[in-house]
Amino acid sequence: MLQASSDELEEFETDSESQTRPVIETRGLTKRFGTVTALDHIDLTIRAGEFVSVMGPSGSGKTTFLNLISCLDTPTEGSYLLDGIDVSTFTEKERAVMRRERIGLVFQQFHLIPYLNAQENVMLAQHYHSVVDAEGATRALERVGLADRAHHLPSQLSGGEQQRVCIARALINEPSLILADEPTGNLDAKNEHLVMELFSELHREGRVIVLITHNPELGRRTDRTIWFEHGRRVRRASEAA
Amino acid sequence: MAAADRPTTVARRGGMGARLLWRALLVRRSRVLAAVTAIAVGAAVIAALASLYFDISAKMSRELRAYGANFIVAPASAEGDKTFSEATYRKLIAELPADRLVGASPFLYGVARIGEREAVIAGLDFAGAQKISPYWQVEGNWIGVDFDERRCMLGERLAESLGLHPGDKIEVSNDDGSFTTELTVRGIVETGEAEDDQILVNRSLAQKLLGMPNVVNLAMLSIQAEGEDADRLASTVEADFPGLDIRPIRQVSQSDGELLDKIKVLMAFVAGIILVITAVCVNSTLTAMIVERRREIGLQKALGADDSAIMRQFLIETVTLSLIGVAVGLVIGFGLAQLLGQAVFSTAISFRAIVVPATLAISLIAALAAAIVPIRRAIRIVPAQVLKGE
Ligand SMILES: Nc1ncnc2c1ncn2[C@@H]1O[C@H](COP(=O)(O)OP(=O)(O)OP(=O)(O)O)[C@@H](O)[C@H]1O
Ligand SMILES: [Mg+2]
Repeated sequence: MLQASSDELEEFETDSESQTRPVIETRGLTKRFGTVTALDHIDLTIRAGEFVSVMGPSGSGKTTFLNLISCLDTPTEGSYLLDGIDVSTFTEKERAVMRRERIGLVFQQFHLIPYLNAQENVMLAQHYHSVVDAEGATRALERVGLADRAHHLPSQLSGGEQQRVCIARALINEPSLILADEPTGNLDAKNEHLVMELFSELHREGRVIVLITHNPELGRRTDRTIWFEHGRRVRRASEAA
Repeated sequence: MAAADRPTTVARRGGMGARLLWRALLVRRSRVLAAVTAIAVGAAVIAALASLYFDISAKMSRELRAYGANFIVAPASAEGDKTFSEATYRKLIAELPADRLVGASPFLYGVARIGEREAVIAGLDFAGAQKISPYWQVEGNWIGVDFDERRCMLGERLAESLGLHPGDKIEVSNDDGSFTTELTVRGIVETGEAEDDQILVNRSLAQKLLGMPNVVNLAMLSIQAEGEDADRLASTVEADFPGLDIRPIRQVSQSDGELLDKIKVLMAFVAGIILVITAVCVNSTLTAMIVERRREIGLQKALGADDSAIMRQFLIETVTLSLIGVAVGLVIGFGLAQLLGQAVFSTAISFRAIVVPATLAISLIAALAAAIVPIRRAIRIVPAQVLKGE
């Protein structure tokens, strides 16, 4: 592995993709927790239509990065433009609006509300976004192959099925970005494959997806992989030209 | 997928909130039960004490007011003369402690005619009579000035039997018709007592009409004095007026009123303690509920709920629990009021509508105050922290 300068990385990015509209642009994005620098001056551009994986050792700042770009957290330093809007100085209320309007989140632990059925869990995202629409929620469940499980509680669903409900929930409000933090971390190989298939399909439909994973196999199935180490972006020796 | 073009679904947004609320409460039945019980117990005690307070004080003050005058002055019964002089009355009033004299009026009674009808006529000082009879229900107006010889007030039963109303004019004459005057009915008075059948006029007019100048039959006084104090006052004054009999009346009601005041303080004290206990229970239950639900709250925030949405959700939850608790508490409280009413006051307690809003308001204030800290805790939940990790 080898530390690379931002310039080099920018070049690397420019080479690897066509010049579509940037959806995520970070400049010097930094997050410190007390004395711990979890994220250290990250410059990164992710463009419309990209499927990007984020990899790196444990504690390298992947989740911290995802929390910042999903507007769940604010940077200590640096700027972040989401769809061209500088959100790094947004208030909590404004960030909540960005989350419901533009972000779809998929978690490793699913985080479904246990006393709401699959359809209602999807509808909850609609509730905070705009209007609740049971048919729309059913269609989103159809989309992830769970039309017949709409009225099951999370406890009545397998892990893979729960994760697909979570993806349906992330999709329902047509976000600009789908962000997934190790979405297959709790799934077996078969379900991992199913979920990856779904992400690939969504990508083919033109959505921007950022996927954190520890599995190099999954990383290879994305357009490109961003590597983190000790809170910095690095260029992997194996992928260096 | 978002169905912005389907207006019918808009109305169902509240539906999701309600569903979330009920399910969230239903899965935590024991916590909900604890909170509702705390609120119900508090509301029951408040409702019981409020019922007692409002009902007993209404009943008591009715009785108390009915005896606004607490001294009656009459000629000493041994003498044949049923009157005493107005000058004596004035001397008596002058001798009473002015700062404790609430009001006083002399009374002179006789028979008069209104047209063909005979009725008792009472001559009095209206200003003084109003002070010693605050409970009189008057339709129309009181006569405001003394020496008004053109107007009168009529007892309610008499007015009704004659078909008279405020503003009507009547001819009043004495027994033998030697004195006649026209009077305007200023007000109709309902007292529940003898006055209801009487025609009330100014003392000076009654004296002329009855041909009894400068005398009165009796006097009623309202003096701030109770129990032994009242007895002492009566005998002291009596000593200076050997021709008069001065008697305190209705001391019992007065001391009941004092008891009520003491009970009122006691009730407020008990209610205050109960409210604090209720608030502490509600606070700890809500805190536990919010700690249990921190993941859900974090998720709701991640899905785009802002602080005010979270606050609203928990305020609605608190109010819902309170309403259920208060409804239960009101029923129990009314039952409790009956028990206490029988045990303490030996009387049934009637339902007073004011108890419902009073209990609701006090309980809601206590519950919402108890919810402030837990709700702040919910708002402070950081989704990034609660959503990571197992
Ligand atoms: N709230 C926090 N307070 C203090 N330190 C934190 C906090 N969150 C993260 N960190 C630190 O920041 C660094 C990056 O953490 P992060 O969770 O982003 O790592 P990661 O790449 O997601 O790791 P993993 O693969 O294990 O999930 C770690 O050293 C972590 O201890
Ligand atoms: Mg992580």
